[in-house]
This record gives sequence, C-alpha cells and structure tokens, in this order.
Amino acid sequence: MNPLYLETAVILLGLGLILAEAFAETVEKRTFAWVAIAGLAAVLVLTFFVDPGTAAPGDNWRRFYATDGAAMFFKRFALVTTILVLLMALDYLPVVQRYIAGARPGAGLGEFLTLPVFTCAGLMWMASAKDLTMIFVSLELVTVSFYVLVAYMRRNSASLEAGVKYLILGALSTGFLVYGLVWTYGLSGHTALDQIGPALAALPPESGGAVFFAFVLVLVGLGFKIAAAPFQLWVPDVYQGAPTPITAFLSVGSKAAGFIVLMRVLDVFLSVPSVVPKAGLVLVGVTVATLVYGNLAALPQTNLKRLLAYSSIAHAGYLLVAVTSVLPSAGGTPPPIPMGATVAFYLGGYLLMTILAFAVMVAAGNHLPGDEIIHFNGLAKRSPALAFGLLVGMASLAGVPFTVGFFGKFFVFAGAVARGQWLLVAVGTVAVACGFYYYLKVVRAMYFQPPVPGQETAIPLSGPTRAVVVALAALILFLGVWPQPALNLFPGAR
Amino acid sequence: MSPALFWFFSLMMIAFAILVVVKRNPVASALSLVVSFIGLAALFVSLDAYFIGTIQILVYAGAVMVLFLFIIMLLDLKAEEKRVVTAAPLIGGIVVGFTFLTLLIRVLAGNANGKLPMPALPGPVDDVKRVGELLFSQYNLPLQIIGTLLLVATVGVVVLSKRELK
Repeated sequence: MNPLYLETAVILLGLGLILAEAFAETVEKRTFAWVAIAGLAAVLVLTFFVDPGTAAPGDNWRRFYATDGAAMFFKRFALVTTILVLLMALDYLPVVQRYIAGARPGAGLGEFLTLPVFTCAGLMWMASAKDLTMIFVSLELVTVSFYVLVAYMRRNSASLEAGVKYLILGALSTGFLVYGLVWTYGLSGHTALDQIGPALAALPPESGGAVFFAFVLVLVGLGFKIAAAPFQLWVPDVYQGAPTPITAFLSVGSKAAGFIVLMRVLDVFLSVPSVVPKAGLVLVGVTVATLVYGNLAALPQTNLKRLLAYSSIAHAGYLLVAVTSVLPSAGGTPPPIPMGATVAFYLGGYLLMTILAFAVMVAAGNHLPGDEIIHFNGLAKRSPALAFGLLVGMASLAGVPFTVGFFGKFFVFAGAVARGQWLLVAVGTVAVACGFYYYLKVVRAMYFQPPVPGQETAIPLSGPTRAVVVALAALILFLGVWPQPALNLFPGAR
Repeated sequence: MSPALFWFFSLMMIAFAILVVVKRNPVASALSLVVSFIGLAALFVSLDAYFIGTIQILVYAGAVMVLFLFIIMLLDLKAEEKRVVTAAPLIGGIVVGFTFLTLLIRVLAGNANGKLPMPALPGPVDDVKRVGELLFSQYNLPLQIIGTLLLVATVGVVVLSKRELK
C-alpha cells in the first residue's frame, strides 16, 4: 500500500467526523471521540502494512515525501500521541464545557475532539517532509490547529491569554523560519533537501557566511517549536493556560515533529564543511542554555502544569544533547547508538511519561481545587492508583533507574561521552540533579503530606482512564528494565 | 527598470514601513503599510514577476489590508494613541533591528553568488500559466495540505468567534 494513503485516511476520518458532528445533532459528543480513536488505531495498524516500494520510484510525490524508517516511526508516534490525547480529552470535556459559550449541553465540544485528528495528519506529514515547501505547509497545519486548540476555552482568561501569546510568538517564529528557508532556497536553487546539501557544499567559501545565516534563521524557527532556549519564553504561560490535554499534545507532538524536521535539516547544513564548526558552536550554546534555563527555572515552581512546562524545556535540552552528538569532534568516536535512534527512544519515553503525568492531572483535576502542587497533597490516600501513576511518571521524568527515563538519559549521555562533548556531559549531570529535586517534590506532596481538610474523599476513576494510567506506568517500568523492544522499533538502532 | 525607479520604489517602501511603526494612529499605520506593499509590488514587476506583483496588490494591499482597516475601525482603538513608549523596549528594539541589519549587510556583502549579474529572461514569460501548472502538477501534495490548513483555520475561526455555539 502506498504510504500516502495513511494521511489521506486520517484526513478523511477528520472530515467525516466534522461533517457528522454538524448534522447529527442528537448523537452524544463522546461518540465522536471514540470513533476518532478507533479510526486512528486502524490507521496505526495500517502503518505496518504499507510498502514504500510499490509506487514507481520516479513518482512526483517522492520529492516531498520520505518513506524511510524514521518517517514511519514518527508517524506511529503521532498516531499514538493523538489517541492518548483524545482519551484524555474525554475526561476533560466537563471543564471545556464550562468555559465555552454553548447554546445547549455538548455544543462546541465536537470540534474540540475532531481538530486533533487534523493536527495528527499534519504531524504525520511533517514526519515525512523532505522538501522545504512540504516542511513549511505541514508545520503550519500543525501550528494553526494548535492556535485554535490552545485558545479553545475562550471564556477562561488564562486560555485566551495563552492563545494570543502563542499566536503572536508563533507567527514571529514562523517569520524567522520562512526567511531561513528562503535563504536556503536562494543559495542552493533547490527546495528538496537531498539536492540542497550538494548544492550548498558546491558554493564558493565566501558564501559560508550566508549559509550559516540561513542555518541560524531556520534554527530560530525550529527552536521555537521544540521549546529550546532562548526561544522558550512562550512555554510556561501557554502550557499553563491551554486545556490540559492540549498541553500534553503540544509538549509531546509538537516537540517530536520539531525534532524530526530539525534532524533532517541539520543533516543538510552539516554537509557543508565551512559551516560545521560555527553551527556546532551555536548548537552547543543553545543546548547548554536550554538545559540550564529549563532546570533552574523549574526549581521554584509551585504549579504542577507550569512545572511540567519547564520540564518540557529541560527535556528539549537533553534531546539537543543527543542531536549535538552528530557533530564530528576531535578524538571522538561515533555514538554507540545512532543519533536518530537515541532521539527516537528518548521521545518515545518522553511520550509515555509526559502523557501519564497529564492524564493523572486531568483525572484528578475534576476533584481538586486547582493545579498547584499543594493541591496534590495526600493524593496517595485519595486515589492510590493515580498517585502511583504520577509517582512512576515523575520518577521517569527525573531519570530514576528502572524507568524508561533512565535509559533515555543514559543513551543520550553515552553519545555525548563518545563524542567527547564534556561540557554537555557536565551541564547535563547538574541538570539531572536539579530534576531530582523538583520532580520528587510532587511525590513528596502526594505521599508524605496530609490531604487538605475537606478534601479527603476518594477520587472515582473511569475505566478508560484507569486502563491508560496502568498501561503507561507498566510500559515505563517494563522498558526501564528491558529497553530492547523499543529500540527495535526504530530501524538501524542496533 | 531604470535605477531611478528602483531607488524611488525602494525608498518609498522603507519610508512607509518606518511610518507603520512610528505612527500612533492605527488607521494611519495600516494605510502606510498599503503604500509600502505597493512599492514592493512595483519592485516585483520590475523583476518581470508580474503575477506576484499583481497578487501583492490584489491580495495584500487589497483584501488583507482592507480587512485590517475594517477591524481597526470597528474596534475603535484608542489605547494605542495614549500609550507611553518607555525607554527600555525602544532601545531594545533599536538594538535588535540594528544588529539584524548589520548582519544582513555583512552576509550580503560576503555572498559571492549575490554579486553575479542576473541573466536576462529569454523573452516574455507566461508566469500565471507556469505557476498554475507547477502548483497543480508538481506541487500538488503541498497544495492539498494547504487546503486542509485552510479548513482547520475556518473551523477554528468559527469556533473561537461565534457568539453562541450550537
């Protein structure tokens, strides 16, 4: 089967849902979410049956569309993320309902449940994008749908504020990205990434400055998407204000798509010898800044959602350490696991633990006064399952051994050590130590603090939520003992 | 195009772009942007890119800016005129803009390919036809994605702006 059908199927699913939602007024809105989840799961199964070789190799779409193992991996990643986000959104519907102006119960919820399907298609296209035009349009599809979803609860001033901030800063970063892409096109005369590399390398050495300029502009645009410092200013406010399932989606989906594009683009620019030393310097600088900012700013946070926002910046930093290990260095050896596989494994683990943390927040949120960490005091007594889930999530985010987060960081640092990037290893170690403090602060609140008086009743759990929390926690612990199955998912990892 | 016209339109663009930022009245800013766009369109035409030049006037100077003006007039923005500009953002903005400009000039001066003379076009080019052909044949996949993007944007606008969702 032609892999292009995957995205087509997702788009048709989204179109069908949005049409059905408009005409079938009596159908319960939750049904649409379940149909979307079932449809995306079916597409996920289909990804294992596509055959990239069926279409003629000269076909025009191949110019834009990569069908390699990395692309397929990140397509599945996008599908899994969207399914989990939709499951979370089901629990979150009462909150959305409270903050939108509906003429009757359930009005306006259908779009909240169908827009993520279109975002998913955008993420899947991004995973395959290997042409500047394709990168840009799929990135914009993802970003525009996020603008809408972030501001969705428009009667909530925090959500609206988050939407406006995300829109304005997102537009600015898109400006940088487009300008960088235009420079790249102008210098090389090509939009296909595999033609740009040789064309740039063939330029006279005096043009090195212009190539570097294009690289920096593209890096600024993508740095915004992956929440790297110094382009991270939007992250805390947007993450805190957005509806919680959308925060999880932003934090996982947007970051993963940003990283795959960054890896593909970096591949091109690093094939230009005159740019490598300067680009390496910039990359190391951004990585150190991201690690330091994300971890230090997370220390004083008292709000769990904001804490996870800073944690998202910190994890972008660890991922950038892995990306930086592509740089050739004096006396270094190639990393034990290829860079793409390290990043994919880390993102996979990050998906499990971040979604787990947000799923617990959503499930507990309906019974808690707010998102502050003190509101989670004594959660272990009120709901042992949720507290254990959050414990596993936080331990994994911190990188405690026997969780998938430990192996993620282990592979990242193994690559940095092999390359001899000692500065990154040193900063990373301090960053991990900081992480232990702020993640385990949440565990302390849940297990060692008494519940707030008047908030001692048990929290009921719906079946799907319990299944998601248990499954994610079990996967985190399983892959923390035996990471090989996850590594096997990514081709060329062994 | 003669160099005199190039300088005229370039300076017009830059002068009105500065006015967009400096003017305190939002309507005046928007109208300055329209003039700046017209200068840009003239530069496109001077490069024989008639289609982009026309689109620049029809879409940007015409549709987009008229919409902007409508919104500005509907909202009746008075706050902008009363806003006091403090020193810190002003200096910050000037520093960032100046740094970017210096960088751009240095990069442009160093780029050897930028100094090559542009080869003349072989004759009149049917650019609308060629853009259309490319868009609907070779670039069909990105075009379809843009279609999806517009759908998402439309749905989003309705959801976010409708007074009462049904």
